Amino acid sequence: MKTYLPLLCTTLSIAAAPAFAQDCPVKVGVLHSLSGTMAISETTLKDTVEMLVDIQNENGGLLGCEVEAVVVDPASDWPLFAEKARELLTVEEVDVIFGSWTSVSRKSALPVLEELNGLMFYPVQYEGEESSKNVFYTGAAPNQQAIPAVDYFLEELGVERFALLGTDYVYPRTTNNILEAYLKSKGVAEEDIFVNYTPFGHSDWATIVGDVVEMSEDGRQVGVISTINGDANIGFYKELAAAEISADDIPVVAFSVGEEELSGLDTSNLVGHLAAWNYFQSAETEANEDFVAAWKARMGEDRVTNDPMEAHYIGFNMWVNAVTEAGTTDVDAVREAMYGQEFPNLTGGTAVMLPNHHLAKPVLIGEITEDGQFDIISQTSEVPGDAWTDHLVESAKLISDWPGKGCGMWNTETESCVQIQSNY
Amino acid sequence: MTLIRLIAALCLLALPVTAQEGAVQTVLQTHAADIAEPSRRTIQPVLDDLAASGLPAMPAFLEAWADRGVVQRDADGLFFFGERDGDVYILRSIEDGSDAGTVGRRDADQLRPNAGVRRLIATALVQFQLNDPDPDRRRAALDALTRNPTPDLLAPLRASIEGEEDRAIRQRKEALDRLITIRFGEDRTTRLAAIFWMADQVSLEARAALNAVLTTDTFVGQPPEDANVARSLQVGTDITPDQALALLAAEGILPEDVTRADRDAALVAAIDGDSVAGVPVSSLNTEDARWAAYATLAENGAARPRPPVNAVEILLAANPIVEIYDEPDAAITAAAAEALTQVEARVARAQAADLGLDALSLASIYFLAAIGLAITFGVMGVINMAHGEFIMIGAYTGYVVQLFVPDYTLSLIIALPLAFCTAAAAGVALERLVIRHLAHRPLETLLATFGISVALQQIFKNIFGTQAVPLTSPDWLAGAWTLNDVVGISYIRIAIFILALLFLALLVYILRRTRLGLEVRAVTQNPGMAASLGIDPDRVGMATFALGSGIAGVAGVAIGLFAQVTSEMGASYIVQSFMTVVVGGVGSVFGTLAGAGLIGGLQKGIEWLNPSNTLAAQTYMILFIILFIQFRPRGIVAQKGRFAQ
Amino acid sequence: MSDASPSLVRKYSGGAGAGPRSGPLILRPDVLIFLITLAALTIGATFLAEAGLISTAFVKTLGKTLCLCLAALAMDLVWGYTGILSLGHFAFFGIGGYAIGMWLMWDRTEGIVLDTLSRGPLPPTALEIEEQIGTQIFGVVGSSEVPWLWAFAGSLPIQLAFAVLVPGLIALIFGWLAFRSRVAGVYLSILTQAGTLALSLWLFQNDSGLRGNNGLSGLQNIPGLTDVPQSTLSLWFLWASAAALALAYLAAAWMVSGRFGSVLRGIRDDEARVRFLGYEVEHYKLAIFTVTAMACGIAGALYYPQAGIVNPAEIAPIASIYLAVWVAIGGRGRLYGAVIGAAVVSLASSWFTGGGAPDIELGFYTIQWTDWWLVLLGLSFVLVTLFAPKGLGGLVDLYTDRRAAKRNADLGPDAGALRKEEDA
Repeated sequence: MKTYLPLLCTTLSIAAAPAFAQDCPVKVGVLHSLSGTMAISETTLKDTVEMLVDIQNENGGLLGCEVEAVVVDPASDWPLFAEKARELLTVEEVDVIFGSWTSVSRKSALPVLEELNGLMFYPVQYEGEESSKNVFYTGAAPNQQAIPAVDYFLEELGVERFALLGTDYVYPRTTNNILEAYLKSKGVAEEDIFVNYTPFGHSDWATIVGDVVEMSEDGRQVGVISTINGDANIGFYKELAAAEISADDIPVVAFSVGEEELSGLDTSNLVGHLAAWNYFQSAETEANEDFVAAWKARMGEDRVTNDPMEAHYIGFNMWVNAVTEAGTTDVDAVREAMYGQEFPNLTGGTAVMLPNHHLAKPVLIGEITEDGQFDIISQTSEVPGDAWTDHLVESAKLISDWPGKGCGMWNTETESCVQIQSNY
Repeated sequence: MTLIRLIAALCLLALPVTAQEGAVQTVLQTHAADIAEPSRRTIQPVLDDLAASGLPAMPAFLEAWADRGVVQRDADGLFFFGERDGDVYILRSIEDGSDAGTVGRRDADQLRPNAGVRRLIATALVQFQLNDPDPDRRRAALDALTRNPTPDLLAPLRASIEGEEDRAIRQRKEALDRLITIRFGEDRTTRLAAIFWMADQVSLEARAALNAVLTTDTFVGQPPEDANVARSLQVGTDITPDQALALLAAEGILPEDVTRADRDAALVAAIDGDSVAGVPVSSLNTEDARWAAYATLAENGAARPRPPVNAVEILLAANPIVEIYDEPDAAITAAAAEALTQVEARVARAQAADLGLDALSLASIYFLAAIGLAITFGVMGVINMAHGEFIMIGAYTGYVVQLFVPDYTLSLIIALPLAFCTAAAAGVALERLVIRHLAHRPLETLLATFGISVALQQIFKNIFGTQAVPLTSPDWLAGAWTLNDVVGISYIRIAIFILALLFLALLVYILRRTRLGLEVRAVTQNPGMAASLGIDPDRVGMATFALGSGIAGVAGVAIGLFAQVTSEMGASYIVQSFMTVVVGGVGSVFGTLAGAGLIGGLQKGIEWLNPSNTLAAQTYMILFIILFIQFRPRGIVAQKGRFAQ
Repeated sequence: MSDASPSLVRKYSGGAGAGPRSGPLILRPDVLIFLITLAALTIGATFLAEAGLISTAFVKTLGKTLCLCLAALAMDLVWGYTGILSLGHFAFFGIGGYAIGMWLMWDRTEGIVLDTLSRGPLPPTALEIEEQIGTQIFGVVGSSEVPWLWAFAGSLPIQLAFAVLVPGLIALIFGWLAFRSRVAGVYLSILTQAGTLALSLWLFQNDSGLRGNNGLSGLQNIPGLTDVPQSTLSLWFLWASAAALALAYLAAAWMVSGRFGSVLRGIRDDEARVRFLGYEVEHYKLAIFTVTAMACGIAGALYYPQAGIVNPAEIAPIASIYLAVWVAIGGRGRLYGAVIGAAVVSLASSWFTGGGAPDIELGFYTIQWTDWWLVLLGLSFVLVTLFAPKGLGGLVDLYTDRRAAKRNADLGPDAGALRKEEDA
């Protein structure tokens, strides 16, 4: 089947050419906040999509059409994501949307996407436990970021006591739940896991850092797993540095700290602390060097690249290939063509789109360097993203298989589809 | 002839290899794969082998390897000291450091051992470094040994104590000797002596060493004769019934409980037409009905019976659960437990002190943020919702100064007064342009200044971006003052505390001892009378506003040094600041101090009660304050007079 | 309040809004014009939407704006007429949304769960259904237990009652405590703001049982009406919002035209004098505070099914301040002023941030409205307070003043507080 599928598609597209006559231009919706609290992260992604669109147009466009980016600003206001998604799909009639950063913004847009059968590419690492028919998740699921990082702590650093520090919202909560279950399955006792949640933008870290230091009182190695979000990291790392805690004493691995976040910090005291992502700017491949060079040429020398940007890079190119293969931008046809799409990662290896709408990507662990970059010290082979984690009882029995079972929430025990739409 | 030429050719071929391959390289090449891709789990034998080689150049290699100073050339797999220079690595020989040319960065790999491996390398280096003439290296060796105490190194450590001349290092060596002795010492007397010595400590290492002696295993059933039993666990007090059940089940002593999923699976398997165990399927829509049906199934032998309700008690009576020390010597464990009790009592006191320090620090931050408000709102009665933005202006001033003055100390010295002036200027502008025109219309002042606050935040966002900007403290403010491993506070927080005290003193002085203070008090008490006595209320208002705003600017620099500088930083302090002033009692600088103390202490207290949820602490603190104000609307230091409502 | 019968309305109707002092309320020009305009807008929007000239997204925006107008109306009663600057009324709005959102989520999920379970071999038990609903709703935030707050979530009448009663009860308790202690003026403003902050922080916590930062989402899918397309639903909600606003306007106009309204204005202008006249000032304040809180709850219950998601960010203190901003810009102390302010500012806000406004090229700098809109809003607010205390409603005066005879003319709404003159 696989071998003659492209052939079939080509024949189909030629035969059905008049029916599939493409409305020019091909419209790409960009649903990223350009103002408000998330603007700093999301504006970068808007620029990335615009860059990718420009590159595509230089290479001759898509299906003989010019590609046009339609940018809207949901202003970090979650309900606006639903409103703007509806606007993009019904008023602008875009063929695909690249957008969202926070989980809550994705959850806000989901009902609209499913109602109007839109297609969205979501580029950020997230907590999993979701697989919508209308979303392709190009960021990391927990098993592509958190679990490998914990394995690294257990195997390579010999960490025996864990402090899970997070900002109080859904991503840290779910990730920490998964990690707690995973650590217990690895024989870590309950009392060796300290969990703490702080508000967004928290700045008073002295007591929490003190609590973490206290954990090493029984002589075992302590490690911190940080899902602290955004600005709050600055106070946290400053306090770590002030308490003179080196990465050798208590290593910290962060899941939400990338090149962008470090640019607000003096990293000289943070050298050696870790972050886990699917991409670092320091990856030494030619594709990455070209990408970084193109980005800097467009945006300025001091700009950095980061993981969600690579996710959009892969997602956009896969979509372009899927559209070319399908010969149309029709959502259902493109979705079919997306399954099994392969595209080379910027860090080497190949990303594959799986039937559960997640990617198979390598996991990288990097140590912070003096210049605010990451030194890649560990790179796995491609890990397939898991929509429903295996480490929580309720989710372990669920799988997502859209092309096979037509369901994103398939219960393998009862062999039935729990629901076609997503949990919002 | 051909033979000679052949030999010559062989020699020529072999020559470069022999020239490169020295003794170190030869040893390294035998472990090339492990060295290039080291893992903590597998590297120890390799390190042992390298250390045992006894080559004088080996320590240098190990150090460079840990520092990422070693590269492996792709072409032949040889290792070199390598330094990145643009697109090439400058290579030096691994044997003697002599120049070995360059290699393109794509043709060689820099070795990057991870932190776990680096720690093992550091431990392997200890024996070479303990007697190193460089004190830094000796300290590094002791650091490594502290992090990873190994029995093998006890002898070299003891041997090195004798020749140690640096007193501080010698003390550390002696302490370390005792720490390792506690765990790995051979004879009981030295171990006991070390344990007794530990009882006077509070350090993390001491507790770690004692705890390491006291590790236990949980054992189900009758313990062996010679076991060093720590305690027997009582269900209900030491462990929960569920935990006991799990332990018994893990030993296979207890038949596993029938879960609801097991039950349903058994029922489904036994469906026969429309009924299960004689009951129609459609009637199984309650839990009780299902259990009843399952009981029938179990009676018929079609399912596993449920364990009796009191199974746990019966089985526990026959199988006590005990904890057994890993350390066989009961005298040692008893002494260690005794010592640890003493240590922990001391630690508990120290922790209380540390919490007190944290609370004091938080209170001083709140005080610094609110003290400007204590003047403008408290003394003058002007509501300024843009006060938080003056804090932000101060912080950004500090950031801009650091852009132009790279020296952090100098920039701080410039930034503090400059932040005062900038924020004061902004304050004066606000007072003249807006607040003065809204005199005696407090609600409108509130909203107008809120409009200013929104505009200012967005303007700073537009200028500096939404990303937090770095404001770095000078080196002498980095680090922390530590009394011991428990009680400690960062120098920045101490500096903020001192700054808060300074401003408190300054304000009290200005308000009580200067002409301005006299005029301020006169104007606030009776503006009409003050004006008729020749005091210009406008001028006084402006001066006071400048002072209050300026202090907010300085507070901004201070806050920026330990937390993030963003355009929203002021907004996150404004509600707390108003609360501080109101709780303390409007109109009194000391009231603000009391308010800050109450709020800081309260927040830390609630955090201590529930350390895993800082957000809850903030919520409950605000609720408490709201209630507090309801019952004591004038605040802690109640003021009589015009502004007391 | 109970004695404000129609006869008394006529008797004590001094100082009411512009218009004659007798005759049925509905025939007063301001009420009549308002109702006609509202009806025209709703009917017009319906026809335009049916004809496909305006999008569903815009209809939703209109419906939401009407709900905001309703909240602003309540704010005007409590601030513009009574002089209590509550910085917490938007919290009541949010609570209303949460109350209705709980039912929407529960009922929708229950449908899915029952459908799934009915396909199993055994008929579902009550416990199973509850567990499954819990997993579906709270699985997202890493939990599966149903918190006690959700005890009545399955019942629409109870949750609807909660949408009104919970805000009312909170307002009653808070108001009773505050007014009893004679907390007034800015102190009360700060206190209400702190209360709002506490509520939003509490909601931000996952442990509170309302899904933390994610809030309740997917609210636009109304259980039982899944077959009705959103284009129709949005119109139904538009009508419902318009009806609610019309009724609230009538109720408010009736309330402020009687003796009750006169006392309220008296409290605003000089609380002490009213108290000395023998009125129980606290009771009046408590009544208006509670009633407006309930009105905000209703507005929220109508708003969030249109927005699709309610979360703690909605309740943040800044939202309540914006409510005050709308009323101030529209014109305090006149009912239509609040409505105009809310409509104009929120629509302008979405126009400016939505990229609708053209950028202004200054040569050396380009003013992008997504970035500068907030600056404009903040400054315009200062300017309105300083130079036009009557707000946009003042424009109406320009017209009516010219038209009305000088003699016997109504004094019209008061221009801000009168204390200024008294203090001087």
